[in-house]
Amino acid sequence: MTEAVWWAVARSEEISKDKPVNVDIGDQPIVLWRDSDGIVRALEDRCPHRRAPLSLGCVLGSGMIQCGYHGWTFDGANGQLVDIPNLKSERKFPPVYRARAFGVTESGGFIRVCLDAKTPQPAPAEETLPLSGTENVALDHDQYINALFDDPALVIGIRGVRFSPYLMAELKEQDGRLVLERSCQWASPHWPAPFSSDFPITLKISTDPASGESDLLLRDDQFNPLLRATLAPVPGARGVTQVRWRAKLEAKRPGLMAKAMGLGDPLTVHSHVDGAALRVQKPSASIHAVELRKEIAARTERQETAA
Amino acid sequence: MLDIQDSIPTADHDDPISSDPRTFAAKVNSWVPHDIVLKDAWFPLAHSTSVGTKPVRRAIYSQPFFLWRESGQPVASEFHPAEGLSASKSEYSDAQGRYPVMEKYGFVWGWFGNPANAAPQHLPDIPYLPEEGGVPEHMIGTVRFDCCAPLSLENLIDLTHADFLHADVVGDEKMDKETVEVFHDSETITMVRTCVNKSVAPVMKWFGGVRSDVQQVRQVIRIYLRSHVAMAYGRFSPGDNVQLFHPCVPETRDRTRLDYVMNTTNVKKRNPFRYIMPTASYKVSRQDSSMTSPQSPRYMRPEARKDLHSPLDEAGQKYRVLMLALAERQARGDFEYRDDVSADCSELIGYDGT
Ligand code: FES
Ligand SMILES: [Fe+2]
Repeated sequence: MTEAVWWAVARSEEISKDKPVNVDIGDQPIVLWRDSDGIVRALEDRCPHRRAPLSLGCVLGSGMIQCGYHGWTFDGANGQLVDIPNLKSERKFPPVYRARAFGVTESGGFIRVCLDAKTPQPAPAEETLPLSGTENVALDHDQYINALFDDPALVIGIRGVRFSPYLMAELKEQDGRLVLERSCQWASPHWPAPFSSDFPITLKISTDPASGESDLLLRDDQFNPLLRATLAPVPGARGVTQVRWRAKLEAKRPGLMAKAMGLGDPLTVHSHVDGAALRVQKPSASIHAVELRKEIAARTERQETAA
Repeated sequence: MLDIQDSIPTADHDDPISSDPRTFAAKVNSWVPHDIVLKDAWFPLAHSTSVGTKPVRRAIYSQPFFLWRESGQPVASEFHPAEGLSASKSEYSDAQGRYPVMEKYGFVWGWFGNPANAAPQHLPDIPYLPEEGGVPEHMIGTVRFDCCAPLSLENLIDLTHADFLHADVVGDEKMDKETVEVFHDSETITMVRTCVNKSVAPVMKWFGGVRSDVQQVRQVIRIYLRSHVAMAYGRFSPGDNVQLFHPCVPETRDRTRLDYVMNTTNVKKRNPFRYIMPTASYKVSRQDSSMTSPQSPRYMRPEARKDLHSPLDEAGQKYRVLMLALAERQARGDFEYRDDVSADCSELIGYDGT
């Protein structure tokens, strides 16, 4: 399941030519860096010589990565070993002398890696949302997505917004994505949600069933977009979910509360999940989500075997 | 009665390192160092100065060793005196729960294995340490590694790592020529690395009064396989020779204790190198640990993918094969020392008293 997915393992600003960075997809450690042309490279974060993490090494001026242990140097494009400095000789190494290389794409301010080179690349994003951040959450990937569906407040906060338990549209499949729309209130004095006739804002969540990558859209009741965000949860080592996000607050926001969203961080992604609140959160939308994700995965598999 | 078991150990005294490259490679790549537990060996459990009348606790593969002195003589016991003899006594100690023990080179050594096989001649020869100990206190210390002992020793015997990991202490990989020679018998492996015009070691440049930009270097690493101890002897010209005793005691299968001696008594008393070099262990060991610590779990279980090797890895590869050969022999019940580890090795390591 993790194989054929383009995982958003980093934000563009996290990866540089200066220092390699370690990320993981499940139990698979990966090292990322930019070569001399600024292209992001991804290799298994394990040197094939003595299994040291390549992320402890350095990026050479040539854009190659050099292991910090004995200096073996690899080309990020294909993982090929290009130099063992102590050998003091120009030599070609046989093709088996390589580190495992992974496909990488960069678009919309996200760097995505796929463990299976044959998986078609995602369509490039039209826009790079300016606000961004990274959190590591001690909650596994499936549970993280379920929490987002059942009560977004468990994993995120939107400035001045209260998520209600009521949905404008229940979770269903739309163009291959899982979509739901939740009614929200401003955090100003008002009737409690159970007695409110109308809600001033809604949060629409559209989620990729395989990766859990979710587009968030906060709108008011006149369909004015207020906030757009992408939340990219990636399964990491030991059941930790690494969450990268990007967001944009729309410039035109009618209403006092909407305007006040610009007074601080409009979106916060929590680094911790409140276990007490999580445990007692009754599953609702996530019950549909789990079923739909299974169904879609099975369908994709059938299509692949047919093809 | 002579049964088939008894006749096996004497059957083959061939070189444990096969001359067939494929057999050799297969052995090298079957390396799972966590699975190796060698017995019948002396381990340097503590600096002599650490052992007094109050018991201190050490371990070899989790087996407890309590050390203290009675009338000045070291005692090694499976049990703390407050604990008394326990019913769960192992076969490694005698009826009183005592292990064979020796004191030499400034260490208290304990025997791990069959007590009946303990003998002084199985204690490794270390020519540049005084047999009676007494090296100044500032030249000894303890560092720990969260990795398995054979990985730590494999790290040590491949000195190309020093050019990258310890470049800021011992100099980088720039040099005109490098040769590596490897010698072995069934109990030891010795690597001799000769470097022509190598970048001078910063620690010698800054603290040792070495003014030139390059040095001629001859470094020797000699490992006593069973005892998991190594000598690191470096001759530098210009510069002072470096005499490091580097034991890697397997306290558990993936934790290593290094009670080192950096004997700089050969360096003039007014040369700061004499005092700085022993403290370098703290820095150097953390650099090593940054690699061996993530390595260790990756060597805990058999791995389908083979490690890749370079021609400079001959010593490390042979170390693996020799360790496996000992482990295989011991699995067959053969604990005999076929080579003498206490024989004087000065000539082999190029030690001439300086
Ligand atoms: S482990 Fe990477 S060069 Fe040796
Ligand atoms: Fe080292």
